[in-house]
Amino acid sequence: MTGISKRFGAVQALDSVDLHVKAGAIHALVGENGAGKTTLMKILYGALHPDSGQLSVKGSSTEFRSSAQAIAAGVGMVSQHYGIIPELSCLQNLMLGAEDGPIIRSEEARQRAEELARSMGFRFDWNADASLLSPAAAQKLEILKLLWRKAEIMILDEPTAMLSPADGDALFHSLRKLTEDGATVILVTHRLPEVFDHCSQVTVLRGGKRVAEKAVFETSKNELAELIVGKALESNEVRNPELGSTRLQITRLQVFNDRGAEALKSINLEVKSGEIVGIAGVDGSGQRELVQSLVGTRPISQGTITFDDLPISSESPAMRIAAGLRLIPEDRHEDGVIEEWSLEENAALGLQRLFPFSKKGKIDIRRRAEEAAKIAQRFSTKHGGLAQPMSSLSGGNQQRFVAARALDIEPKLIVAFQPARGLDLAATAEVYRGIRDACSAGACALVVSFDLDELLENCDRVVAMNRGEVFEPPPNKELDRDAIGRLMVGAQ
Amino acid sequence: MIVLTILISTITLSAPLILAALGGYTSERSGIINIGLEGKMLMAACVTSLAAAAFNNAVMGALCGIGSATLLSLLHWLLTQKFSLDHIISGMAINAIAMGGTNFLDRAFTDTERTSGVPVLPSLTLKLGSGATFPISIYLILAFLLPGLLALYIRRSRAGLRLLAVGNDPDKSRLMGVRPLRVRLVAALATGLFTGLAGAMILSNVGRFTNEMTAGRGYIALAALILGGWRPLQAMLACITFGLFEAIQIQLQGTNVLGAKIPSEAWSALPYLVTVIALAGFIGKSRAPLGLGKP
Repeated sequence: MTGISKRFGAVQALDSVDLHVKAGAIHALVGENGAGKTTLMKILYGALHPDSGQLSVKGSSTEFRSSAQAIAAGVGMVSQHYGIIPELSCLQNLMLGAEDGPIIRSEEARQRAEELARSMGFRFDWNADASLLSPAAAQKLEILKLLWRKAEIMILDEPTAMLSPADGDALFHSLRKLTEDGATVILVTHRLPEVFDHCSQVTVLRGGKRVAEKAVFETSKNELAELIVGKALESNEVRNPELGSTRLQITRLQVFNDRGAEALKSINLEVKSGEIVGIAGVDGSGQRELVQSLVGTRPISQGTITFDDLPISSESPAMRIAAGLRLIPEDRHEDGVIEEWSLEENAALGLQRLFPFSKKGKIDIRRRAEEAAKIAQRFSTKHGGLAQPMSSLSGGNQQRFVAARALDIEPKLIVAFQPARGLDLAATAEVYRGIRDACSAGACALVVSFDLDELLENCDRVVAMNRGEVFEPPPNKELDRDAIGRLMVGAQ
Repeated sequence: MIVLTILISTITLSAPLILAALGGYTSERSGIINIGLEGKMLMAACVTSLAAAAFNNAVMGALCGIGSATLLSLLHWLLTQKFSLDHIISGMAINAIAMGGTNFLDRAFTDTERTSGVPVLPSLTLKLGSGATFPISIYLILAFLLPGLLALYIRRSRAGLRLLAVGNDPDKSRLMGVRPLRVRLVAALATGLFTGLAGAMILSNVGRFTNEMTAGRGYIALAALILGGWRPLQAMLACITFGLFEAIQIQLQGTNVLGAKIPSEAWSALPYLVTVIALAGFIGKSRAPLGLGKP
């Protein structure tokens, strides 16, 4: 790809970017949110058309008008939000868009699917609904989809964001096997360790421009981090302030999930004033149900939740918010914002009853605008005006806004589910610093993440969840990677 | 005897419902909400009648009728997919066009001199014992064969897979190289064919067009589709149930209940009442295509 430029309205998303990927390489593409990584990849995949620039695949110059053409030329992409349709079966998802002919011969298709899966060491129940797949299995199916399409150039956009460390390692193992067989992989990522452990080349984008293209062995983590943000990163200062008294206490909490199975098995957990407690664990271990029962959107069957010695488990979500509960939800699209609403309107979402948004039972429009500006500024949300709809923001910028909103008005208990989802290194550090500041002022925080390293770096202590139970590491190993990693998979 | 009569008229009455429900099926499974089944049927019935009289040919009548429903279906596709009009509004517009349009066409072009009905496709009349007759038309055969064939086709074909995919998530389908607009165009054509058949059948059962002769059957077909969870065979069963209630109410016309005389209008309302109750009771349990109404 040479001299690729793309402009969205007033924003120059890509400015004459070059990207040269060698056959058989795992090539990393790194950069901050909004640096243009996804845009560049969408152009390569035919989902967007560049304003100018040349594209050449396997030595011959080409132009893709649609994804269908890119697929035909051997380019495949696994997007950030999985491209799997839950209502279809695994086999149907595998074939969709690349069927053998007008009539589907299921037996032959299943055999070919089975062979592909075996060559990668995967196993699938092909007739099962894809909605039953775990995130790791969905990721594996995505890779098989690329193989099914005989893709030779594979684009993976943040493939490990939802995977446990073990599943992530397995994924890279598969990718390396594929490159040995002649495939080429382009990896879009935020995680620098992945670049150094698994990639051979790395390209850095910043503000729509290519700032570096290097062989991985020629660079270092610090140099790369500097290239990405354009300045040296300051690491968050040391943790563990003075811990106060217990504020949040969860006692023998039992909760059932949507399917009626026991999601939380009589768990106990306490968080002290000033403390950030991290919850590590593979996706689906009960974190979601824990957060929902804390917020008040899921009924609890047994046990109590007390905050500042007041039982809150029977209170409505509104009362809990009034008591100081703030949420950074897992899925900002679904639960964090109303996309059709403006940034100003979203600023008051959930906090509408509180001062300064509410005045004599009415929303104070002027104060709301002020708060919205403050919230947008806090983690430097890039936006085109506070009256613009939330849907005009990129995912990372929405996350910045949602995180800042949760910290805006006197948070006392911060519940965060993947607060750094889709954020780059600098923004991740900022968000955690924000949580830390709130806690230093007396609040407490409970942070769920699937990225153990992120938790170890930013929390005072980390507990592990596995199959609906909470496991606390032994004393003095509150931040021991191996001990917690073992607890995450149920090995004591 | 009465049981046999009810059985025969159940089959005859449910057939056009089934055809119309299949039209709803292809449309809604592709993600296009379609409340315009009624209008397409009505238009097809009217045009079938006029064309059959004009050409003095039953086949030409049916073909023109199906063609008219297909044109309306394409209009719905154009409005919702190319011009992003709300699907409900567009469907209502289709119904309004059909209602007014057929009224006008009927008045302007119907030969008032004509006393006999227009030519219709021949049907095979079975003589059953005890004097009951059972007319079997080509439409009737199609109505009971097509749901099974369609279900099989959707499950076994590339087109079927793409239809389900687009109806569930057009964006992801697009990323997989499927073109939602084109899939929905084909689905709209199929909707035109099926609703056209339904309208032509209603006309051929009666022999001449009268205003609003479809009498809300398009809406009942849509209700049957929802009751059947947007699946063709289950929708057929729901249609047969509605046909049964229709047949029962025809038999019960004029009978007294507990000595009180029930007006015939009250009996006529029975199938519609069943629709409302059935929908109220079942709609929450039925799984709609997730991409319904998504651009």
